[in-house]
Amino acid sequence: MKIESWLFLGGIFFFLPVALVYGYMTNWDEWVGMPALFMVTGLSAMIGFYLYYTARRVGPRPEDRLDGEIHENAGVVGAFSPWSWWPIVLATAAAIGFLGLAVGFWVLYIGAGLAVIAVIGWTYEYSRGDHAH
Amino acid sequence: MTTYEYATDETREIAPRVVPVSKGRIIVNWITSTDHKTIGYMYLIASFMFFCIGGVMALLIRAELFEPGMQLLQTKEQYNQLFTMHGTIMLLMFATPLFAGFANVIMPLQIGAPDVAFPRLNALAFWLFLFGSTIAVAGYITPQGAASFGWFAYAPLSNTTFSPGVGGDLWVFGLALSGFGTILGAVNFITTIICLRAPGMTMWRMPIFTWNTLITGILVLMAFPPLAAALFALGADRRFGAHIFDPEAGGPILWQHLFWFFGHPEVYIIALPFFGIVSEIFPVFSRKPIFGYKGLVFATIAIAALSVAVWAHHMYVTGSVLLPFFGFMTMLIAVPTGVKFFNWIGTMWRGSITFETPMLWSIGFMATFLFGGLTGIILSAPPLDFHVSDTYFVVAHFHYVVFGTVVFAMFAGFYFWWPKWTGKMLNERFGKIHFWLLFIGFHGTFLIQHWLGVMGMPRRYADYMPEDGFTAMNQFSTVFAFVLGMSMIPFFWNVWITHRHGKKVEVDDPWGFGASLEWATSCPPPRHNFHSIPRIRSERPALDLHHPELGARSTPTTTVAKVFGPADQKDK
Repeated sequence: MKIESWLFLGGIFFFLPVALVYGYMTNWDEWVGMPALFMVTGLSAMIGFYLYYTARRVGPRPEDRLDGEIHENAGVVGAFSPWSWWPIVLATAAAIGFLGLAVGFWVLYIGAGLAVIAVIGWTYEYSRGDHAH
Repeated sequence: MTTYEYATDETREIAPRVVPVSKGRIIVNWITSTDHKTIGYMYLIASFMFFCIGGVMALLIRAELFEPGMQLLQTKEQYNQLFTMHGTIMLLMFATPLFAGFANVIMPLQIGAPDVAFPRLNALAFWLFLFGSTIAVAGYITPQGAASFGWFAYAPLSNTTFSPGVGGDLWVFGLALSGFGTILGAVNFITTIICLRAPGMTMWRMPIFTWNTLITGILVLMAFPPLAAALFALGADRRFGAHIFDPEAGGPILWQHLFWFFGHPEVYIIALPFFGIVSEIFPVFSRKPIFGYKGLVFATIAIAALSVAVWAHHMYVTGSVLLPFFGFMTMLIAVPTGVKFFNWIGTMWRGSITFETPMLWSIGFMATFLFGGLTGIILSAPPLDFHVSDTYFVVAHFHYVVFGTVVFAMFAGFYFWWPKWTGKMLNERFGKIHFWLLFIGFHGTFLIQHWLGVMGMPRRYADYMPEDGFTAMNQFSTVFAFVLGMSMIPFFWNVWITHRHGKKVEVDDPWGFGASLEWATSCPPPRHNFHSIPRIRSERPALDLHHPELGARSTPTTTVAKVFGPADQKDK
């Protein structure tokens, strides 16, 4: 995971100097680009340091090693939903809400209500309680 | 212990379905799907439909410009709506989701993953894009029509005083919604690439397309949130009486900064993945590994980083941006882009090249994009930009850049991966007719627009006068635009006859020299992509599997080769 973390951390060494130079050259007077560049630096640092410390914690994974063998990752890879109704329901709710912002505020409430249902459905779709199967 | 087998000898039987599937079941399977391939196909189909809609709008625009006077359209407002929605559709509803489509289908296959990291989030991202785009386009069914303030919605033109009507509101909030889809999709791609690679698939063994997907995903994270912020602010102005982009508060420049802080990286968001597609294709049809693998990756990283720091070169003529800074940074981008050209040519250099359709499209991409890149350097110089800004020179420039990358590389990818997706090869002869019609049509339409722009024809005008002397050039351009439009006919015909009569591909790698992992699984791949994954010991695992005799290659060990050279050195 080292290379992944440096891909992000490297951003600090580009965006920070660029933000400083740009800020200096504009007399710290341009209030979109200068803060945005600092925030991009922050974004790089945040993800980069998270990956860096995670990499230190987990060590080289089979996919980080040149001699990794396919069987080393045998077993459970993760939970992959086979199919689900909830994405399209949640997206419909969001679309109704955004449509409401454009055409009439009351429509937003319909979208918000549907969104609550969709988020609950999404969250508990694979939850069967602590001891159930 | 490793067993090798040749692609040509492999046959894998998938048991035929005995229970027929009803039509309703098929529809439900698609709309509830969390399979990255199905979602990817939905992205590709939806974005191609938007491409066709945007293309018809372009033909209407060209037809209107055929001669002085208004012949086709009733009002100039309709013309404004056409170019606004043409730009919006092509950038945000065609090119951006097309990236998501290709990345969805191909990237997990290339890294040996069973699916993307968040399958349901992936589906959500697709539906947000589709619904958001539909909302934005739905302006056309409102009484006042769709948005008409240009795809970059400059303030104060985009406020309700100058652009009243619900079409503009639908545009603002539709794009905001689809933007969230893009952001969620990017998060998904980045997580997948970091967390779901197969063992042995180190970062420096990932195919270039996967690398470019990763870097594009990072760019999306940097560029789309400012767009969302700007759109919500504009929406607040339009709908709730806010005064964020009022001229008296410096709103126009504020909007331009916010918009282009998104808008310039967006250009690279839709270019980098397509550079990745052609980088996959050149080695296969040149029978050589990609030349300077690491150099190509570093070039991509450099382009992406620089693209965040050049936004205001779209704002030279405002007179209130830092010209030397943005001119310098913009010209710097030419360096890594040149490195990419160097690597693509180096890949083909002394290879045994064959000109199957994917290769033809990739070379067409290189020729076209080179022109766009060269005019880009002209435009990066403020003194030159002042003279041609907002003329057809700029129109020609960005069509060469964007059409050159997105459309040429899209068709390259279609012809290249069609057997992988559908199990049937597209017809080569129709593919070549398609290519040449499109190539001639495109260059005929846009090359002449450079001169139109230099002569002074402004962009976005619905009409011009006979005395301007633009008529002949516009007629030339329009005629070729219709050739370009006609080139879709052999493509659709090709898709249809391939669907009906195409021969089933029974090997994993119909092209014979496929390098990345997607060529080590069946066509089309099974539900979770692989029955078995071959051992990964280089950036070309499928080639190592199918052609073990090519594995023993020697690479120089000099410093230059170590830094820029092939991904793996002497570690077999």
